[in-house]
Order: sequence, then structure tokens, then C-alpha cells
Amino acid sequence: MSALFNAMKQLLFVMTILFSTLVNADSVNTNPPFGIRNYDIGNAPDFTLLDIDDKAFTLSETRGHWIFLHFWASWCGPCREEMPTIQKLADILQKENLKIIMVNTAEDEDTIFEFLAAIDVDLTNLMDADGLVTETWKPRGLPTTFLINPKGEIKYQAIGGREWDKPEYIKFLKQLVR
Amino acid sequence: MLNIFPFLLVIANMQVVQPVFVITPDIEIEFTPRTPNQMTSFYEARGFPEAMLNVLKQQCYITVGITNLSNQKIWLDLSQWTFSASGKKLPREHRDHWKKRWQDMDMPLNKQSTFRWTLIPENLDYLPGEHEGGNLILPFSDKAITLHASFATGEHKQGERITITTDKLFCAEDAP
Repeated sequence: MSALFNAMKQLLFVMTILFSTLVNADSVNTNPPFGIRNYDIGNAPDFTLLDIDDKAFTLSETRGHWIFLHFWASWCGPCREEMPTIQKLADILQKENLKIIMVNTAEDEDTIFEFLAAIDVDLTNLMDADGLVTETWKPRGLPTTFLINPKGEIKYQAIGGREWDKPEYIKFLKQLVR
Repeated sequence: MLNIFPFLLVIANMQVVQPVFVITPDIEIEFTPRTPNQMTSFYEARGFPEAMLNVLKQQCYITVGITNLSNQKIWLDLSQWTFSASGKKLPREHRDHWKKRWQDMDMPLNKQSTFRWTLIPENLDYLPGEHEGGNLILPFSDKAITLHASFATGEHKQGERITITTDKLFCAEDAP
């Protein structure tokens, strides 16, 4: 009788954990913070671009991680404003299963180097030199961020600039990637 | 298609033009005329070739920022915007026109891309609270410009249309 009672208690405990996980997962899926929208449009278009050290980066080789894919240009005011907050976000979430990948749209190497050095940002920056990868991804504007799950599926889109190091974004991303 | 233009407010000859606002309970639209020098300075600083700059110097620029103040989607469709000056229609060129023009002139792809990002999108569904914008390019006119614009609303464009009219637009000119 006592064994049965213990088994039922364990079952109840497991069900409680499962339920709580499902509720949390649902709240992440349905309640992203303001400015981030569910954007479940399927597989992320693959691309290979060079980073600022001339090393090739292929998106599909990042499977298994959540990807924060951010399109920007140095002449875009909100891009300039939010870039330092993305660096802070990267520092805060460095131990999480999230890779932050920046894609500069159609600017030359010198412009990118100069800009990044001036604002003291050290993130993976890819150069979409002719702007064609950005065109393929069709962001709504610059800046735009896509969140891609470990299976390589686009799940969310963040529209415009924001302070990424605010608690609501950090909490959302932490919940998402765990 | 972007929020670059607060960054451009004071450039070139430091001329600042006051924006024109059209505000309804559902939508806010800000129109800021830019002089050809202001705009070509921006493009020149991004390394645009002389051939592109020569074309761009001839145009009339109005930067548009649209904010959805409602709690439903608002659909931008520039084909539903008509411009006129002194009773005559001012034909706005579609972004495809510009794409073809730069391609025909064999302009660098990265400059074509940057140029496209400075244009307001032809179509966009504005989410509640969303703000996006970009440049409208019109043929130059020295007359006051009237705009009639209409927007669909609702998830499936089923809502009541929003219509706005303003006759306060103009092409900004550089100081002589």
C-alpha cells in the first residue's frame, strides 16, 4: 500500500513538472515581449558569408544552437543605438545555448571595422558585401533580428531597434534557449 | 524601409525642414521633405557612383514615418497613394523602376541594395505599435503636393479602411 502511495506521489510529481514545463514553453511561445513577434515560417534560408576576419561562416553548420541573427548597417540610426546593448546581451547570455550572429548589409570592410572599433563591440560580424543575403531574408527593415531554433527553423522576428539588455528580453531569451 | 532618418536630420547645408504630421486615432504619419543635396550627401558618403548621384540629384524626396496607433494590423500599399500638384497627377516611381534603372546602368550591387533600403516599402503590414518608414521619391514639382492615401486594416484586410488627405507636402529645394 505504501509502495503504491509512493508511486502515485512520484507520478504526481512528474506530472506537475511536465505541466509546469508545458505552461512555461507555451508562455514563451505566445508571449514574447513587445516588438518580438511569432514568426513560424519554416526553415531558415542557408547562406555562407565571410566574417570580418575573412573566415567563412555557414548558417546550417550552427544546428543544435539557437541563433540570434541580426541584420544591420552603420548608417541606420536604431542599429547604431542598439548595437552596444546586443554586446551586453551577448555577455550576459554567453553560457546559454545561443549564438549571436550579426550580418552587415552591403557596406565595405573599412566602414564596418571603423564602426565596430568606435563602439567597442566584439561580436561575430558577417559581411553581406553585395546585400543579396539580406534581400533573400527579407527583413521588414533595418535593424531586424530573427530567432532560429536548433533545428534551423525561424521562430521569431524582432522588428526595429530596442535595448536588448532590458530584463524582459533577457528573461525571454533565457526561457527560450533552455 | 528603415528608421535611418533621425540620423539624417541635420546634414549637408544644415537645413532643417519641419515635418508635416497627419494623425488619426489609428495611425500617425510623419512627412519630412529632404533637399536633393541632403539626400545625395547621404548617398555620396556611402560611396555611390557619380552616375547614380547625378540621377538622384534630380528627384524630390519625402521621408515618411508611419506608426500604427491602433490595436489591429494596418496595411501599407503604396499603389493606394496618389500624389498631385495643381490638379495634375504626380507619378511616383515603383521601387522596381529604380532596380531596373540601376541594373541597366550596371551600378554596383551593394549600392543598389543600400539605395533600396532607404526606400519606403511598397507593401507592409504594420503591427500594433509598429513604426517603420523610408523615402518616397517623386518627380520634382515647385507646387504644393496633395496626397490621398488609403490603408486596409485587420488581419485579413477585412476592417474599415483608413483614408487620409494632406495638401501640405512639398519638394524641399536647396538654398541657391
